[in-house]
Amino acid sequence: MNCNKAEKWVLRSLDGRLDGRSEGLLREHLEACPSCRKAETEYRSMLALLRDGGEAAPLPRFWERLEPRLREEMEIAPLVFWERSCLRAIPVFLVLVGIAAGALFFTPQAAELSQSEALLLENVDPFSETGQIFSADKADTRNMMLIFASLEEKTPDRRPMP
Amino acid sequence: MEERQLVRLAQEGSPAAFEELVAKYQAKVFSMALSFTRNREAADDLAQEVFLKAYLALPRFHGKSEFGTWLYRISINHIKDYLRKKGRAKEVSLEDVPEVSFSDKEQAERAEQERETEARRHLVREFVQGLPEKYRVILTLRDIQGLAYEQISQVLHLSPGTVDSRLHRARRMLRKKLAPHLIGERGAHEL
Repeated sequence: MNCNKAEKWVLRSLDGRLDGRSEGLLREHLEACPSCRKAETEYRSMLALLRDGGEAAPLPRFWERLEPRLREEMEIAPLVFWERSCLRAIPVFLVLVGIAAGALFFTPQAAELSQSEALLLENVDPFSETGQIFSADKADTRNMMLIFASLEEKTPDRRPMP
Repeated sequence: MEERQLVRLAQEGSPAAFEELVAKYQAKVFSMALSFTRNREAADDLAQEVFLKAYLALPRFHGKSEFGTWLYRISINHIKDYLRKKGRAKEVSLEDVPEVSFSDKEQAERAEQERETEARRHLVREFVQGLPEKYRVILTLRDIQGLAYEQISQVLHLSPGTVDSRLHRARRMLRKKLAPHLIGERGAHEL
Protein backbone atom coordinates (compact mmCIF):
# COMPACT_ATOMS: atom_id res chain seq x y z
CA MET A 1 0.00 0.00 0.00
CA ASN A 2 1.36 3.43 -0.85
CA CYS A 3 1.11 6.45 1.45
CA ASN A 4 -1.54 8.25 -0.68
CA LYS A 5 -3.87 5.29 -0.40
CA ALA A 6 -3.07 4.97 3.29
CA GLU A 7 -4.06 8.61 3.85
CA LYS A 8 -7.43 8.00 2.18
CA TRP A 9 -7.96 4.89 4.26
CA VAL A 10 -6.97 6.71 7.46
CA LEU A 11 -9.77 9.21 6.87
CA ARG A 12 -12.25 6.46 6.01
CA SER A 13 -11.20 4.61 9.13
CA LEU A 14 -11.73 7.72 11.27
CA ASP A 15 -15.20 8.01 9.70
CA GLY A 16 -15.89 4.35 10.52
CA ARG A 17 -16.23 3.53 6.83
CA LEU A 18 -13.43 1.00 6.41
CA ASP A 19 -14.11 -2.74 6.37
CA GLY A 20 -12.22 -5.12 8.66
CA ARG A 21 -9.79 -6.45 6.06
CA SER A 22 -8.81 -3.00 4.84
CA GLU A 23 -8.48 -1.84 8.44
CA GLY A 24 -5.97 -4.65 9.02
CA LEU A 25 -3.97 -3.71 5.94
CA LEU A 26 -3.95 -0.08 7.05
CA ARG A 27 -2.71 -0.98 10.55
CA GLU A 28 0.11 -2.98 8.97
CA HIS A 29 1.11 0.00 6.85
CA LEU A 30 0.90 2.40 9.78
CA GLU A 31 3.18 0.24 11.88
CA ALA A 32 5.82 0.36 9.17
CA CYS A 33 5.36 4.02 8.11
CA PRO A 34 6.09 6.80 10.64
CA SER A 35 4.89 9.62 8.35
CA CYS A 36 1.46 7.98 7.87
CA ARG A 37 1.30 7.36 11.61
CA LYS A 38 1.95 11.04 12.16
CA ALA A 39 -0.73 11.90 9.60
CA GLU A 40 -3.21 9.67 11.40
CA THR A 41 -2.49 11.33 14.75
CA GLU A 42 -2.88 14.76 13.19
CA TYR A 43 -6.13 13.87 11.46
CA ARG A 44 -7.49 12.36 14.66
CA SER A 45 -6.63 15.49 16.60
CA MET A 46 -8.02 17.77 13.89
CA LEU A 47 -11.35 15.93 13.62
CA ALA A 48 -11.70 15.84 17.40
CA LEU A 49 -11.30 19.62 17.51
CA LEU A 50 -13.77 20.12 14.70
CA ARG A 51 -16.37 17.81 16.22
CA ASP A 52 -15.90 19.23 19.68
CA GLY A 53 -18.71 21.66 20.43
CA GLY A 54 -20.42 21.06 17.11
CA GLU A 55 -23.90 21.75 18.42
CA ALA A 56 -24.62 24.98 20.24
CA ALA A 57 -27.88 26.28 21.67
CA PRO A 58 -29.42 29.37 20.10
CA LEU A 59 -30.16 32.49 22.11
CA PRO A 60 -32.93 32.06 24.72
CA ARG A 61 -36.67 32.06 23.89
CA PHE A 62 -36.05 31.08 20.28
CA TRP A 63 -39.66 30.02 19.59
CA GLU A 64 -41.15 32.98 21.51
CA ARG A 65 -39.19 35.31 19.24
CA LEU A 66 -39.95 33.33 16.10
CA GLU A 67 -43.70 32.94 16.55
CA PRO A 68 -44.68 36.64 16.15
CA ARG A 69 -42.48 36.82 13.04
CA LEU A 70 -44.27 33.79 11.60
CA ARG A 71 -47.68 35.35 12.28
CA GLU A 72 -46.55 38.62 10.70
CA GLU A 73 -45.23 36.78 7.63
CA MET A 74 -48.48 34.84 7.31
CA GLU A 75 -50.43 38.09 7.33
CA ILE A 76 -48.25 39.48 4.56
CA ALA A 77 -47.96 36.23 2.66
CA PRO A 78 -51.51 36.15 1.18
CA LEU A 79 -51.04 39.72 -0.10
CA VAL A 80 -47.68 38.86 -1.57
CA PHE A 81 -49.23 35.79 -3.17
CA TRP A 82 -52.03 37.93 -4.63
CA GLU A 83 -49.55 40.46 -5.99
CA ARG A 84 -47.45 37.71 -7.52
CA SER A 85 -50.54 36.13 -9.05
CA CYS A 86 -51.55 39.48 -10.52
CA LEU A 87 -48.10 39.95 -12.02
CA ARG A 88 -48.22 36.50 -13.52
CA ALA A 89 -51.73 37.14 -14.83
CA ILE A 90 -50.71 40.21 -16.85
CA PRO A 91 -48.87 38.40 -19.68
CA VAL A 92 -51.57 35.71 -19.76
CA PHE A 93 -54.23 38.42 -20.06
CA LEU A 94 -52.29 40.14 -22.87
CA VAL A 95 -51.94 36.87 -24.78
CA LEU A 96 -55.67 36.22 -24.43
CA VAL A 97 -56.50 39.74 -25.65
CA GLY A 98 -54.14 39.19 -28.62
CA ILE A 99 -55.83 35.91 -29.53
CA ALA A 100 -59.28 37.45 -29.25
CA ALA A 101 -58.24 40.45 -31.38
CA GLY A 102 -56.70 38.14 -33.99
CA ALA A 103 -59.83 36.03 -34.12
CA LEU A 104 -62.00 39.11 -34.62
CA PHE A 105 -59.67 40.53 -37.28
CA PHE A 106 -59.30 37.39 -39.34
CA THR A 107 -62.86 36.06 -39.10
CA PRO A 108 -64.85 37.27 -42.16
CA GLN A 109 -67.77 39.44 -41.10
CA ALA A 110 -71.26 38.51 -42.25
CA ALA A 111 -71.72 41.94 -43.87
CA GLU A 112 -68.66 41.42 -46.08
CA LEU A 113 -69.79 38.07 -47.41
CA SER A 114 -71.29 37.75 -50.82
CA GLN A 115 -74.59 35.96 -51.06
CA SER A 116 -72.99 32.82 -52.45
CA GLU A 117 -70.32 32.89 -49.68
CA ALA A 118 -73.06 33.29 -47.09
CA LEU A 119 -74.93 30.37 -48.63
CA LEU A 120 -71.76 28.25 -48.63
CA LEU A 121 -71.21 29.12 -44.94
CA GLU A 122 -74.76 28.00 -44.25
CA ASN A 123 -73.98 24.78 -46.11
CA VAL A 124 -76.53 25.58 -48.86
CA ASP A 125 -75.79 25.05 -52.56
CA PRO A 126 -75.27 28.56 -54.01
CA PHE A 127 -76.29 27.32 -57.48
CA SER A 128 -79.72 26.11 -56.41
CA GLU A 129 -81.30 29.54 -57.06
CA THR A 130 -79.41 29.97 -60.35
CA GLY A 131 -80.54 26.50 -61.35
CA GLN A 132 -84.16 27.49 -60.79
CA ILE A 133 -83.68 30.58 -62.97
CA PHE A 134 -82.14 28.66 -65.81
CA SER A 135 -84.70 25.93 -65.59
CA ALA A 136 -87.54 28.43 -66.27
CA ASP A 137 -89.25 27.74 -69.55
CA LYS A 138 -89.75 31.24 -70.90
CA ALA A 139 -86.92 33.60 -71.70
CA ASP A 140 -88.92 36.58 -70.26
CA THR A 141 -89.44 34.77 -66.99
CA ARG A 142 -85.74 33.98 -66.86
CA ASN A 143 -84.82 37.62 -67.47
CA MET A 144 -87.24 38.85 -64.84
CA MET A 145 -85.92 36.32 -62.33
CA LEU A 146 -82.35 37.42 -63.07
CA ILE A 147 -83.30 41.10 -62.56
CA PHE A 148 -84.99 40.35 -59.23
CA ALA A 149 -82.09 38.15 -58.11
CA SER A 150 -79.63 40.95 -58.82
CA LEU A 151 -81.82 43.42 -56.89
CA GLU A 152 -81.78 41.09 -53.89
CA GLU A 153 -77.98 40.94 -54.05
CA LYS A 154 -76.61 42.52 -50.86
CA THR A 155 -73.25 43.57 -52.26
CA PRO A 156 -73.70 46.93 -53.93
CA ASP A 157 -70.91 46.54 -56.50
CA ARG A 158 -72.61 43.49 -57.97
CA ARG A 159 -75.87 45.30 -58.41
CA PRO A 160 -76.50 46.36 -62.05
CA MET A 161 -76.05 50.07 -62.28
CA PRO A 162 -78.63 52.09 -64.18
CA MET B 1 -45.38 12.02 17.29
CA GLU B 2 -43.57 11.00 14.11
CA GLU B 3 -41.78 13.64 12.09
CA ARG B 4 -43.84 12.98 8.95
CA GLN B 5 -47.01 13.49 10.92
CA LEU B 6 -45.65 16.71 12.44
CA VAL B 7 -44.75 17.98 8.99
CA ARG B 8 -48.22 17.15 7.65
CA LEU B 9 -49.88 18.93 10.58
CA ALA B 10 -47.60 21.94 10.15
CA GLN B 11 -48.53 22.02 6.46
CA GLU B 12 -52.17 22.08 7.49
CA GLY B 13 -51.39 25.17 9.58
CA SER B 14 -50.78 23.78 13.06
CA PRO B 15 -48.39 26.13 14.91
CA ALA B 16 -47.90 23.53 17.66
CA ALA B 17 -46.60 20.99 15.15
CA PHE B 18 -44.24 23.53 13.65
CA GLU B 19 -43.09 24.51 17.13
CA GLU B 20 -42.11 20.88 17.74
CA LEU B 21 -40.15 20.79 14.50
CA VAL B 22 -38.41 24.03 15.45
CA ALA B 23 -37.56 22.62 18.88
CA LYS B 24 -36.06 19.55 17.22
CA TYR B 25 -33.92 21.39 14.69
CA GLN B 26 -33.20 24.83 16.18
CA ALA B 27 -29.86 23.80 17.71
CA LYS B 28 -28.71 22.14 14.50
CA VAL B 29 -29.65 25.10 12.30
CA PHE B 30 -28.19 27.57 14.78
CA SER B 31 -24.93 25.60 15.07
CA MET B 32 -24.59 25.47 11.33
CA ALA B 33 -25.11 29.22 11.06
CA LEU B 34 -22.68 29.77 13.93
CA SER B 35 -19.98 27.67 12.33
CA PHE B 36 -20.16 29.87 9.24
CA THR B 37 -20.64 33.30 10.82
CA ARG B 38 -18.93 32.70 14.17
CA ASN B 39 -21.17 35.35 15.65
CA ARG B 40 -23.98 34.26 17.98
CA GLU B 41 -26.35 37.14 17.20
CA ALA B 42 -25.93 36.79 13.46
CA ALA B 43 -26.32 33.02 13.71
CA ASP B 44 -29.49 33.41 15.77
CA ASP B 45 -30.94 35.84 13.22
CA LEU B 46 -30.05 33.47 10.39
CA ALA B 47 -31.63 30.52 12.19
CA GLN B 48 -34.85 32.51 12.69
CA GLU B 49 -34.89 33.47 9.02
CA VAL B 50 -34.30 29.87 7.97
CA PHE B 51 -37.35 28.74 9.95
CA LEU B 52 -39.41 31.60 8.51
CA LYS B 53 -38.42 30.54 5.00
CA ALA B 54 -39.13 26.91 5.80
CA TYR B 55 -42.56 27.76 7.18
CA LEU B 56 -43.50 29.72 4.07
CA ALA B 57 -42.13 26.98 1.83
CA LEU B 58 -43.85 24.15 3.71
CA PRO B 59 -46.70 23.84 1.16
CA ARG B 60 -44.04 23.08 -1.48
CA PHE B 61 -42.41 20.32 0.60
CA HIS B 62 -43.61 17.02 -0.86
CA GLY B 63 -41.62 14.71 1.37
CA LYS B 64 -39.29 13.48 -1.38
CA SER B 65 -36.43 13.83 1.09
CA GLU B 66 -36.32 13.88 4.86
CA PHE B 67 -37.57 17.10 6.47
CA GLY B 68 -34.15 17.56 8.10
CA THR B 69 -32.36 17.29 4.76
CA TRP B 70 -34.76 19.78 3.20
CA LEU B 71 -34.22 22.16 6.13
CA TYR B 72 -30.43 21.83 5.86
CA ARG B 73 -30.67 22.70 2.17
CA ILE B 74 -32.63 25.86 3.00
CA SER B 75 -30.11 26.68 5.74
CA ILE B 76 -27.07 26.24 3.51
CA ASN B 77 -28.56 28.34 0.72
CA HIS B 78 -29.64 31.07 3.13
CA ILE B 79 -26.26 31.16 4.89
CA LYS B 80 -24.43 31.27 1.55
CA ASP B 81 -26.63 34.20 0.44
CA TYR B 82 -25.95 35.97 3.71
CA LEU B 83 -22.19 35.48 3.41
CA ARG B 84 -22.21 36.67 -0.16
CA LYS B 85 -24.12 39.81 0.82
CA LYS B 86 -21.76 40.38 3.70
CA GLY B 87 -18.81 39.97 1.35
CA ARG B 88 -17.58 37.27 3.66
CA ALA B 89 -16.71 39.92 6.21
CA LYS B 90 -15.15 38.31 9.21
CA GLU B 91 -17.39 38.28 12.20
CA VAL B 92 -14.93 37.14 14.73
CA SER B 93 -14.68 39.13 17.89
CA LEU B 94 -12.92 38.61 21.16
CA GLU B 95 -16.35 38.29 22.76
CA ASP B 96 -16.57 34.85 21.18
CA VAL B 97 -14.12 33.61 23.77
CA PRO B 98 -16.02 33.53 27.06
CA GLU B 99 -14.65 35.44 30.00
CA VAL B 100 -14.29 33.50 33.24
CA SER B 101 -13.82 34.73 36.73
CA PHE B 102 -10.99 33.44 38.92
CA SER B 103 -11.53 32.87 42.61
CA ASP B 104 -8.92 30.27 43.62
CA LYS B 105 -6.01 28.43 42.01
CA GLU B 106 -7.99 25.34 40.94
CA GLN B 107 -10.72 27.39 39.41
CA ALA B 108 -8.15 29.55 37.70
CA GLU B 109 -6.46 26.47 36.22
CA ARG B 110 -9.78 25.07 35.02
CA ALA B 111 -10.64 28.41 33.54
CA GLU B 112 -7.28 28.52 31.85
CA GLN B 113 -7.86 25.05 30.39
CA GLU B 114 -11.28 26.08 29.13
CA ARG B 115 -9.83 29.17 27.56
CA GLU B 116 -7.12 27.10 25.90
CA THR B 117 -9.67 24.64 24.53
CA GLU B 118 -11.77 27.50 23.27
CA ALA B 119 -8.71 29.10 21.73
CA ARG B 120 -7.93 25.81 19.91
CA ARG B 121 -11.43 25.54 18.57
CA HIS B 122 -11.24 29.17 17.61
CA LEU B 123 -8.04 28.60 15.64
CA VAL B 124 -9.40 25.53 13.86
CA ARG B 125 -12.60 27.37 12.89
CA GLU B 126 -10.49 30.28 11.72
CA PHE B 127 -8.62 27.96 9.35
CA VAL B 128 -11.90 26.41 8.19
CA GLN B 129 -13.14 29.89 7.31
CA GLY B 130 -10.07 30.36 5.16
CA LEU B 131 -10.91 27.39 2.93
CA PRO B 132 -12.61 27.90 -0.45
CA GLU B 133 -16.41 27.86 -0.10
CA LYS B 134 -17.07 24.41 -1.55
CA TYR B 135 -14.58 22.80 0.82
CA ARG B 136 -15.69 24.88 3.79
CA VAL B 137 -19.33 23.87 3.28
CA ILE B 138 -18.64 20.16 3.00
CA LEU B 139 -16.24 20.14 5.94
CA THR B 140 -18.74 22.02 8.09
CA LEU B 141 -21.56 19.64 7.22
CA ARG B 142 -19.53 16.51 7.86
CA ASP B 143 -16.98 17.28 10.55
CA ILE B 144 -18.70 20.03 12.52
CA GLN B 145 -22.38 19.21 12.04
CA GLY B 146 -21.84 15.47 11.78
CA LEU B 147 -24.17 14.86 8.82
CA ALA B 148 -24.02 11.45 7.16
CA TYR B 149 -22.47 11.17 3.69
CA GLU B 150 -25.84 10.36 2.10
CA GLN B 151 -27.45 13.39 3.74
CA ILE B 152 -24.65 15.69 2.53
CA SER B 153 -25.06 14.24 -0.94
CA GLN B 154 -28.78 15.13 -0.87
CA VAL B 155 -28.32 18.56 0.71
CA LEU B 156 -25.67 19.66 -1.79
CA HIS B 157 -27.02 17.72 -4.78
CA LEU B 158 -23.69 15.97 -5.23
CA SER B 159 -22.94 12.36 -6.03
CA PRO B 160 -21.57 10.30 -3.11
CA GLY B 161 -18.28 9.99 -4.99
CA THR B 162 -17.95 13.77 -5.27
CA VAL B 163 -18.77 14.17 -1.57
CA ASP B 164 -16.06 11.65 -0.73
CA SER B 165 -13.35 13.19 -2.89
CA ARG B 166 -14.23 16.80 -2.00
CA LEU B 167 -14.24 16.02 1.70
CA HIS B 168 -10.92 14.25 1.41
CA ARG B 169 -9.41 17.26 -0.34
CA ALA B 170 -10.90 19.66 2.24
CA ARG B 171 -9.44 17.67 5.13
CA ARG B 172 -6.03 17.50 3.47
CA MET B 173 -6.06 21.26 2.93
CA LEU B 174 -7.04 21.89 6.53
CA ARG B 175 -4.44 19.49 7.88
CA LYS B 176 -1.77 21.19 5.85
CA LYS B 177 -2.70 24.54 7.37
CA LEU B 178 -3.03 23.16 10.88
CA ALA B 179 0.00 20.84 10.81
CA PRO B 180 2.33 23.14 12.76
CA HIS B 181 -0.27 23.37 15.54
CA LEU B 182 -1.46 19.77 15.68
CA ILE B 183 -0.27 17.08 18.07
CA GLY B 184 2.73 15.31 16.59
CA GLU B 185 3.78 11.77 17.32
CA ARG B 186 6.08 12.87 20.13
CA GLY B 187 3.66 15.47 21.41
CA ALA B 188 5.50 18.38 19.82
CA HIS B 189 3.57 21.47 18.75
CA GLU B 190 0.57 20.50 20.80
CA LEU B 191 -2.57 22.42 20.06
